Amino acid sequence: MGSIFRSEEMALCQLFLSSEAAYNCVSEIGEVGLVQFRDLNPDVNAFQRKFVHEVRRCDEMDRKLRYLEKEILKDKLQIIDTGENPAAPQPREMIDLEATFEKLENELREVNANAETLKKNSLELTELKHVLATTQLFFQEEAQTSLTIEQRDSEPNSSITQNLLPAEEGKGPVQLGFVCGVTNRERMPMFERMLWRVCRGNVFVRQSEVQQPLEDPVTGEEVFKTVFIIFFQGEQLKTKVKKICEGCRTTMYPCPESAQERKEMGQGVEGRLADLRTVLNQTTDHRHRVLAAAAKHLRTWFIKVKKMKAIYHTLNMLNLDVTNKCLIAECWIPTVDMGSIRAALRKGTERAGSSVQPIINQMLTNQMPPTFHRTNKFTAGFQNLIDSYGIATYREVNPALYTTTTFPFLFAVMFGDAGHATIMLLFSAWMVLRERQLIAAKMSGEIWNIFFGGRYILLLMSLFSFYTGVIYNDIFSKSFNIFGSSWHIGDNANATEHNLQAWGELTLNPYYRDLYSGEPYPFGFDPIWQIAVNKIAFQNSYKMKISIIIGVFHMIFGIMVSLINHL
Amino acid sequence: MLDSLFNIDNGYLEGLVRGFKNGILKQTDYLNLVQCESLDDLKLHLQSTDYGNFLANEASPLQVSVIDDKLRDKLVAEFQHMRNHAVEPLATFLDYITYGYMIDNIVLLITGALHQRPISELMPKCHPLGTFEQIEAINVASTSSELYNAVLVDTPLADFFGECISEQDLDEMNIEIIRNTLYKAYLESFYDYCKNLGGTTAQVMCEILAFEADRRAFIITLNSFGTELTNEDRKKLYPQCGKLNPDGLAALARADDAENVKQVAEFYTEYRALFEGAGNNPGEKTLEDKFFEHEVRLNVNAFLHQFHFGVFYAYLRLKEQECRNIVWIAECIAQKHRAKIDNYIPIM
Repeated sequence: MGSIFRSEEMALCQLFLSSEAAYNCVSEIGEVGLVQFRDLNPDVNAFQRKFVHEVRRCDEMDRKLRYLEKEILKDKLQIIDTGENPAAPQPREMIDLEATFEKLENELREVNANAETLKKNSLELTELKHVLATTQLFFQEEAQTSLTIEQRDSEPNSSITQNLLPAEEGKGPVQLGFVCGVTNRERMPMFERMLWRVCRGNVFVRQSEVQQPLEDPVTGEEVFKTVFIIFFQGEQLKTKVKKICEGCRTTMYPCPESAQERKEMGQGVEGRLADLRTVLNQTTDHRHRVLAAAAKHLRTWFIKVKKMKAIYHTLNMLNLDVTNKCLIAECWIPTVDMGSIRAALRKGTERAGSSVQPIINQMLTNQMPPTFHRTNKFTAGFQNLIDSYGIATYREVNPALYTTTTFPFLFAVMFGDAGHATIMLLFSAWMVLRERQLIAAKMSGEIWNIFFGGRYILLLMSLFSFYTGVIYNDIFSKSFNIFGSSWHIGDNANATEHNLQAWGELTLNPYYRDLYSGEPYPFGFDPIWQIAVNKIAFQNSYKMKISIIIGVFHMIFGIMVSLINHL
Repeated sequence: MLDSLFNIDNGYLEGLVRGFKNGILKQTDYLNLVQCESLDDLKLHLQSTDYGNFLANEASPLQVSVIDDKLRDKLVAEFQHMRNHAVEPLATFLDYITYGYMIDNIVLLITGALHQRPISELMPKCHPLGTFEQIEAINVASTSSELYNAVLVDTPLADFFGECISEQDLDEMNIEIIRNTLYKAYLESFYDYCKNLGGTTAQVMCEILAFEADRRAFIITLNSFGTELTNEDRKKLYPQCGKLNPDGLAALARADDAENVKQVAEFYTEYRALFEGAGNNPGEKTLEDKFFEHEVRLNVNAFLHQFHFGVFYAYLRLKEQECRNIVWIAECIAQKHRAKIDNYIPIM
């Protein structure tokens, strides 16, 4: 019998599948989703099994798909999820799929390599542009100071490599060499310190920061850079400076000395940069197109590869009977589903075009069958809750059946507020009614998934809580007075001015009919309790006693159920 | 330090490192690995261990160097995570561990520079745990005093460099002497630091470091026979923080061949057991293997105590030994030379 009261009856069956039809039959059985295979090769190593090559090919395809997915996400393209469930492809289609993935991966790698080279070139040109601009600035400033020195010394010179300081008597003008380059901003202090140490302070460094960040071609991140120019004197210092620059991972650029050459170079750089930018745009467009085409099919490909891998894993569990050229499987299936399994096997054999019919026969066994609870979307939540305490043994009474009411009821006994219950009701009703859209939206986030998975539990909990909230007459901790309270302040209440000032409290004696009407409030707590001083004390002890009584009943019920289990 | 106060700062990391330690390959895993026929089988088997899918994104014909790199990357990631979450004094302790790798990297780069290799070729070979900011500028230096003044003075290794500064040019011989002098200063400094920490850390770490010091003394002695290294120079390279100090070291300084070294080892019970039965004939374990085994034993014993820093050091060394084992097995498989495939050092 297929009900939720007990777990389903399972039968151990032996399947004889012909080798050609095996793949398709397992695929069809997998789609039905009601069979548990036993591993008939437990002592065989993972890499000595029969279908290990196919599994490895599936792994390779999976890796290629993951690479594609990473690239698509990097470009922030949308991977379309139509929600369709494609069937597992035939073994001969696997070669086609492999070829497609291989081609896509190679194309993508090529495009990426090209884009990287282009980006590196454009980065160099941009840096060169900044270097030219900055050195122009430096030399202009120096030209200003040397101009003033000129006017003082009245010596015509326009080249920067002439004396920067006023020439001393007897010493001729000294030649200063310079190198300029670009480095990351973070490395600048370390670089300067090293220069100072190695050259013993005999070099002159000027630096200026590049305002906008430049994109690093390899990682794609934006980094801030600094342009520096180092002046030194003599060949030895030049070699040392060059070695240090190389060691600290800076990029050097040749900078011409005269302003005219710098201007020409700058214009050339601008031109080349514009060209590069166009080529780079075209490359990125091409990459976009390739990725967009792939993104349409990506989800279906993933599902297909996963199904293939699963089928081959299952086939690895079967025993190959070489003499009969067929595969033997042992599996557990629910007795009531024998028919649908047979139909699936027939469909699989047809698809494979094999003439040999698969044989399925039931075996008698002493082994403990696995526990299978057939659940629908309503009972699935409760079944999950129960399973977290431990899965019931075979044919034991399933606690999930009566948990559908006892769990929300006990929750409600503790919750007991109709107002908050309404809020919970609205929330869970929204989740239940909008079920389909919310599942399709595939929201990630563990907390949301916990709430959504338990939406039916929440719904029932809120309904029961509303009921207990009305019984406790508690709506947002206030009471409603619907039927009229049974208690009044009458003459017999001793509510004189004098008594009130003396004691501050009144105790209403139910003996007097003008205080207590004689009939209790029809449903729930009397609203008079809202203004009673001993409301909390009374209600707490009342609820505790009720809970204990309910708890004892619950436990006795559990003992009855385990008696049924025993019989 | 009271044991109960240990968990305030270091509880998470000790729990983490013990979890990592439980993932170290067992004897059954090694038995499965040696039965692999190809590197792909090796990869398949490693997927079921703690390593998981670390090779999943590698292209199909696997190579041993790729496996080696990925193994090391995983270990480095774990260590970096622990270092990032550590506070004093654990942070300094973990830094001390990295100084050893820094010394190796520096010597690697200087040797490469001597042979005119470009720096870009040498950088990937450096150990990631031993990098520091100025590391690439090492090829600037041509003498050791330049090396110190330009590069090392800002690094933590500056303290260890005291004895090495000289005006001689760096060449093959000097570099080895510099390496060993640096390492001796580093080891002694580490030993003193652990001793100052006191408690179980001192108890565990000082034993491990003492063995390390003595092992280096033995290896230096054995390797120096037949080279230009004089006995006097050799004596300056022995770390002083081991059990051989002072009599054993003096005797080693006087030794002239392998027999003398073995006689020195006779005076110390653990070392006598290591030298016995060690040899280069097939079927015998080499002396290095015996040293490795002893080190593994000491490191596994470190996990028997709780609330100390030695577990971090021990975990790093055990994981390195495991990497060496896996690479050894992978090489034997790749070259189809399975005679010595069982010569890995079993850890648990």
